[in-house]
Amino acid sequence: MNSRATSPTFVRFLVAHYRDFLLYGLLLGAVAWFIASGEQGTGYHWKWYRMPRYLIQFTEDGWVLGPLLQGLIVTFKISGLSLILAMIFGLTTAIFRLSDSFTARLVAKGYVEFIRNTPLLTQIFFIYYVIGPVFGLDAFGSAVLALSLFEGAYASEIFRAGIVSIHKGQWEAAYSLGLSRQDTYRRVIIPQALRRILPPLAGVGVTLIKDSSLASTIAIYELTQRGNIVSSDTFMVFEVWFTVAAIYLAITFPLSLLVAEMGKRMRTAD
Amino acid sequence: MSAAEKIISIHNASKFFGSLKALYNVSLDIHTGEKVVIIGPSGSGKSTLLRSINRLETIDQGTITVDGKNIDAPGSDINALRMEMGMVFQSFNLFPHKTVLENLTMAPIKLKKIPRGQAEEQAMALLKKVGIEEKSGVYPVQLSGGQKQRVAIARALAMSPKIMLFDEPTSALDPEMIGEVLDVMVTLAKEGMTMAVVTHEMGFAREVADRIVFMDQGEILEIGTPEHFFERPEHPRLKKFLSQIL
Repeated sequence: MNSRATSPTFVRFLVAHYRDFLLYGLLLGAVAWFIASGEQGTGYHWKWYRMPRYLIQFTEDGWVLGPLLQGLIVTFKISGLSLILAMIFGLTTAIFRLSDSFTARLVAKGYVEFIRNTPLLTQIFFIYYVIGPVFGLDAFGSAVLALSLFEGAYASEIFRAGIVSIHKGQWEAAYSLGLSRQDTYRRVIIPQALRRILPPLAGVGVTLIKDSSLASTIAIYELTQRGNIVSSDTFMVFEVWFTVAAIYLAITFPLSLLVAEMGKRMRTAD
Repeated sequence: MSAAEKIISIHNASKFFGSLKALYNVSLDIHTGEKVVIIGPSGSGKSTLLRSINRLETIDQGTITVDGKNIDAPGSDINALRMEMGMVFQSFNLFPHKTVLENLTMAPIKLKKIPRGQAEEQAMALLKKVGIEEKSGVYPVQLSGGQKQRVAIARALAMSPKIMLFDEPTSALDPEMIGEVLDVMVTLAKEGMTMAVVTHEMGFAREVADRIVFMDQGEILEIGTPEHFFERPEHPRLKKFLSQIL
């Protein structure tokens, strides 16, 4: 009963969308042909069977993480630490930009404009080679500082937009009760702003995970750097970079979906 | 009345927006226990005057003293002074991320260091007083306009202020909800609360006010008892205003 009822609908669906299915098939075919021709043109031999050991392998000590997953852990460490610092920089900068003090506004504006108008890679090199030695920052510290300063500048714009979006009556109600500016921020404005800006802030997290790959340029053994090493050791260029890309995607794609879902909920909640 | 203590004293207050006179040479004293109702056409400066008292607006000239303290003096603690003045807004301005109870308890716990349990007890008593204790656990979004405004009044009362400032408290309400808010205000007045009320509700002004202040174009044009005000208005602009609204 059920299958008889569904099969005609499925057929109708196929018929109605046959052009889409055809296009999709053609697209997959084209990709397969492109990769296959590349393989033949360069005389490439796929060695996927050799990949798993670079992710995880079983030794006499039990399961041991391969270099790629070890790199992923470093990527997580850099991204996580940078995210926390970026939130602190971002919120502080946003409050500076909205302050009554001319100096605070100038400092915040200068920071944001400087960061947003220079390349991240340059900032990483600058901090690693110039600032790092002065303050005794190692490569890891430099990478975290550079990434958090960079994402913090973008996060500050998000925080600022969130704070400004809170109705001025909320400030007045808090002030009229006798709350100071600081308490008003802490108890009234920030909690409300945070709900509205959570989706774009989570987006900063996604960007951070991707941008952390630039830390590979200052000899940090995170995922991209590990991929680089494995591929030059084994010449399995295609397999390694497909895998590395897939790992990034596996982390960031669910995060992006979460961001989109949160955004939808925020809009319906408002 | 003259024997009573002046809690608010406004002396020659002026405020300008460019060439527009939002307030011009306004002087007004409010005594403890007194109910002053401020009326006037929109844009007359009555809200600006009220908001100047707790410095949500700053005046350009003149002085305002609360409890004998100049609110604009360099060393004055405006937050401490604001704790003595409850304010109720036209648009309620409840904190949407806090429950009704938390709206009432936040400031007393934070600023007066009242223990949570005691603050909640006081808050529940206030909610009961404004007839809404069954809503203590809900968020403001779930309340009607009249309920929101009653919560807002309770929130201001939770700080045990010496004076209550009402800035058009019923202007944003549906007509059938105005009564429930005015009832609360009348009760409050009868209990002896000092009140300054900007409103268009002439019935309330007649019933509750000790003095009514008429403002137009930033100036106080007439001050008098309700009887004087409605039976023997003097200023031609007041006569015109009353003829239009009554």
